[in-house]
Amino acid sequence: MNKDAYAVALRNALTEIKNICPDVSRSFIFGKDRQIVSGDSETDEETMEKMISSFQSVAEKADTIGSLKAFYVNGKEGKVILSDVNDMYLALAASENADTTYLHSITRVIIVTVLKLLETITSTPTPPIPPQSAPSKQLVVDTLSGFFVGDSVQIDTELLEEWARFLRESVSEVEVEAFGGEATLCKVKEINDSKLKGKGMIRIPEKICKTLEVKKGELVTVKPAST
Amino acid sequence: MSAKNKSKDDIEVLQEKLQSIKGREEIIGYILRGPNSASIDLKDPTKIVDYAILSATAFEEGQNISAMFEIGEVDSIITEGEDTKIMSMVVNDHCLSIFMEKNVDHDKLCKNLNLT
Repeated sequence: MNKDAYAVALRNALTEIKNICPDVSRSFIFGKDRQIVSGDSETDEETMEKMISSFQSVAEKADTIGSLKAFYVNGKEGKVILSDVNDMYLALAASENADTTYLHSITRVIIVTVLKLLETITSTPTPPIPPQSAPSKQLVVDTLSGFFVGDSVQIDTELLEEWARFLRESVSEVEVEAFGGEATLCKVKEINDSKLKGKGMIRIPEKICKTLEVKKGELVTVKPAST
Repeated sequence: MSAKNKSKDDIEVLQEKLQSIKGREEIIGYILRGPNSASIDLKDPTKIVDYAILSATAFEEGQNISAMFEIGEVDSIITEGEDTKIMSMVVNDHCLSIFMEKNVDHDKLCKNLNLT
């Protein structure tokens, strides 16, 4: 997920916090590297940077209390809350009557949930796109009879080439399905009778026609067996 | 009684109260810094310098943040670490920082010290 999408998601979370807690007037999030991650439109970047600088100044001297986790400034006309959320810091300015404990709980739940969700989305590998099936075709049955017809069906060269381009391999077998539901796998060849080419036909040996319970002139669905 | 003497008395009362709470296990100590003098009482004296610097920085940056966000005169500043926190506030013209374990209810402590 790119940084912009991340920032937008967090900005929406900050907006939701404001909706839930109208006492919150301004809010933004910054990273431990002091970079602003996301913020509301009310707080200009200069103010955010000054705030981060102040926080950093305290943080640099806070080793003695085991690193800085939160910094609260309670004024007569409002309060500013800085607290760590996962690997980031959340800065909030709120009215003097804001319930700090409630605010802390709400922000923690919302921001942590959003951050976890973003992490999950980011770390989840994109599922591989399944290869598309070569489109099946409906073809008109023509029967092949005689001793030497073999057991291969015949279809147009163009269709075999189209499937081969699509699948990036030549098609040697097809699945033929009758409308009655009978289906079978057959070897496939090009139609060798030039008069029957390009007519959307499939020439099927009589024996296979019986298996499929189809007759000359009926429609069957044909697709490459490899898919 | 003049205002100056009243203030002095208030600070003396505060110091007495601070002495009374410092024995509590969860209270690490305090720094009370006036214009001309300072009282420091910490259970671990080796940390005096570190705590004093942190306390001074918290006051300074708390004032800066207050000005930035226009939240008015600062009542108190809470600095929270991993398992320790500091409550800082200005009492008369003295800067008070009380160091305590994180689980201490600092609002209740303020009431006990008549600081609210």
